[in-house]
Amino acid sequence: MRGILEHLHTSAFPATVTDMEAGLEHLKRGTLEHAGILLIVVEPYFKSIEAAGRIAELGRNLGVPAIYAVANKVRSERDEAAIRAYCSGHDLPLLAVVPFDEDVAEAERQGRAVLDTAPKAAAVGVVREMARRLLANDVPMAEARVAD
Amino acid sequence: MKVAVAGKGGSGKTTIAGTLARVLANSGRRVLAIDADPSPNLAVSLGMDAVAAARIEPVPHSFSHHTEDAEGRYSVGLDVSPEDIAERYGTPAPDGVTLLLIGRVEPNQAGAG
Repeated sequence: MRGILEHLHTSAFPATVTDMEAGLEHLKRGTLEHAGILLIVVEPYFKSIEAAGRIAELGRNLGVPAIYAVANKVRSERDEAAIRAYCSGHDLPLLAVVPFDEDVAEAERQGRAVLDTAPKAAAVGVVREMARRLLANDVPMAEARVAD
Repeated sequence: MKVAVAGKGGSGKTTIAGTLARVLANSGRRVLAIDADPSPNLAVSLGMDAVAAARIEPVPHSFSHHTEDAEGRYSVGLDVSPEDIAERYGTPAPDGVTLLLIGRVEPNQAGAG
């Protein structure tokens, strides 16, 4: 028995998506083992990238089988390059690059889901493609990662 | 598929988690969206209105009990079946997603490996 999350995952739901507590101070033994896939959302600035690296390390230590970075709010090629450089240097596969999207910003100002306010937003398209790849198991692998 | 979404505050992790949950549900899977953040925002990112979101009752921690084995490892047992928890505390969200609020995941709540 692995905790409440583990139990919930054994219920009638073939897919679960857990929004973890922000940050990494709380991510320790017992909080992530339930996950088969850890997505680390990372923005293109140093502290966010560094935090992503530390979360990835925690996830590896806890034995999460698949760990990916998801770049978010990417405004330029330089933004993307900064995240790519870190990820490739730290053996952290980059699953998706979500652009900065005014439609997302507007949905958040309204307190609504971007899927409802702008279902064709570029950011939504990237998440759809990310879901398709996860479902198809068509995902990048880091060489150092070996699934449990 | 058991996906955990992490990241710094403000990174957009909740928006991505909520959108991903709905996209997965739209592809025909039963999706349980779990908000493990003590300041929960996933409901709104899933497209629920703020009033309904504020009324959601979190899963009480009293449903679980902790035991510790001879080597000092915690394990957690549920006193209620997960199906019952989803039934009683799951809130319907758009696209057929079921949302649960569990608050902070404490190590001694989530169990140690």
